[in-house]
Amino acid sequence: MAKSSLDKKFDKIREREESKSFSTKKRSRIISKFVNNKLAVFGLIIFSIILLATIFAPLLSPYDPMRVDLRSMRQAPSFDHWFGTDNTGRDVFTRVLFGGRVSIFIGLGSAILSALVGIAVGCYAGYKGGWIDVIALRISEIFMSFPQIILVLLLVSITGQSLFNLMAIFIVTGWGGMYRLARARMLSLREEEYVQALRSFGLSTFTICYKHMLPNALSPIMVNITLSTAMFILTEAGLSFLGLGVPLNIPTWGNILNVAQDILVLQNYWWMWGPVGIVISVFVLCVNFIGDGLRDSTDPSQQG
Amino acid sequence: MLLVISFLVYLGLELAPGDAVSHMISPELASTITAEQLNAMREAYGLNQSFLTRYWLWLTSMIQGDMGYSMAGGVAISEIMAKTIPATLELSIVALIFSTIIGCSLGVISALKRGSGTDNSLTVAGMAGVSIPEFFFGLVAILLFAIELRWLPVGGRLLPHYETVWDRIPNIVLPSMVLALMMTAGAMRYARSSMLDVLSREFITTARSKGMPEWRINILHGFRVALTPVVVLIGFRLPLLIGGSTIIEQVYQWPGIGSMFIRSVRASDYPLVMTISLMYVFVVLTASLVIDILTALIDPRVRLGKE
Repeated sequence: MAKSSLDKKFDKIREREESKSFSTKKRSRIISKFVNNKLAVFGLIIFSIILLATIFAPLLSPYDPMRVDLRSMRQAPSFDHWFGTDNTGRDVFTRVLFGGRVSIFIGLGSAILSALVGIAVGCYAGYKGGWIDVIALRISEIFMSFPQIILVLLLVSITGQSLFNLMAIFIVTGWGGMYRLARARMLSLREEEYVQALRSFGLSTFTICYKHMLPNALSPIMVNITLSTAMFILTEAGLSFLGLGVPLNIPTWGNILNVAQDILVLQNYWWMWGPVGIVISVFVLCVNFIGDGLRDSTDPSQQG
Repeated sequence: MLLVISFLVYLGLELAPGDAVSHMISPELASTITAEQLNAMREAYGLNQSFLTRYWLWLTSMIQGDMGYSMAGGVAISEIMAKTIPATLELSIVALIFSTIIGCSLGVISALKRGSGTDNSLTVAGMAGVSIPEFFFGLVAILLFAIELRWLPVGGRLLPHYETVWDRIPNIVLPSMVLALMMTAGAMRYARSSMLDVLSREFITTARSKGMPEWRINILHGFRVALTPVVVLIGFRLPLLIGGSTIIEQVYQWPGIGSMFIRSVRASDYPLVMTISLMYVFVVLTASLVIDILTALIDPRVRLGKE
């Protein structure tokens, strides 16, 4: 007996269901939405180019970022030195690449680590409530009543300057926002039926909140990680520019820009600070585009 | 809250390496000075008392309005504050006014022309505004307007008694405009999304169906409601403003509280670092309170306290 057209349709749906193509459907919608966002794709491409360039820095440039060469001091950009050389004859292009490694590492690293801290505390505190939540909330309030840069400067003055200290400070000052985000999501998810079902199965608190609830809170967290990466890179650049960030002997984007505090350099040697500034701006812009794209594609309420 | 923070700040500075005395002695002097002399100096500054005693002394005198003395130069902190705060306020207020006005109007325009070329380019420009480091932007502005075109001074601020108000304007234009432009981006994005949100509500459709002219709908009905989140945002942007002005003050050698703070951090001038950061916290906490009250005044749906 020939199947009716409705039967065929049902068969097709069952087939797709069985081959699990329905579950991947949702993910691919997010990706296709992201791909459709021209700015986000553009951002992702430039982001990858800069990231790869800094990772493969030794292959791209024959110079040593630290080697002082007084014979080729303050040279304007040329074929040998793409971005010219600085006050002590170091190749600026090389320094931008190697500086990018450190700057991106600081930005991304602190964003991810502070997110981990924030999520770990926020998920548990948000789900469990009680005194843990009260204490964590108070602590985050204390951190958040400081303007961020002031708190960072204050901590720098206490701990002294080093790469490790700076990242630690970023994590200490940055976890609060993530904690609040994770906590708010948890509070709204806590009342959902599936959580109550899981609880009635007798699953442990850890399993419920980290394994079952966290994935549902992940998309705003991803967006937040992207945006705070951008923010940390900017803060690092600002601090190093002031001479209060990473010690000057490590090239970072901010440290390279540091020379522009000298008005002579500013006026006469534009290549020492101009290209770096543009690279920072473009990189942060791309990260922001990616973050915005992620938000648009994952959050249905943010259709702009 | 303020009390807890002040204690933590004091504790943190206590744990910091080196005290003020060790910073006052030059390296050459350090080899000749004896431990007794060092101790005498510590005693003179009251550094040999226990931590809690000093905290208590500092706290009580602070409440009485005596903020103590800066360790570098022994100038009274209240005097330093009195000198630097007006400069910072001047800069911040100008920047805040400009960024709010420009940001809100651009945001509303881009919401009204949603999806158009104007909207897209404004959105991209807004993103760029958030992404460019403010000091880099400031440097480019110095190069362009102060060094190449020679329209405006490179930096600094004339003292109030020094010249008339008009002579002081050129000095403030660059730093405040740079600061304002950086902040415009944020205001614009929020104004846009809040305006879009309002425009999709039912009462806008009602107004339109009554045959009301489009501009009246937008201004009287849309903008007024969209304003609330923007006002809240001004409060949220205050920390941003403080952070931005700290760096901009340094770039333009503006003698405000921000550059003072950076100088005191560099010199580990703990009393000054502490007082300034506490003042910032105080400002932020007060501002959030004021914002809460203002929101309740503008938006009748928000009630203060419990029903």
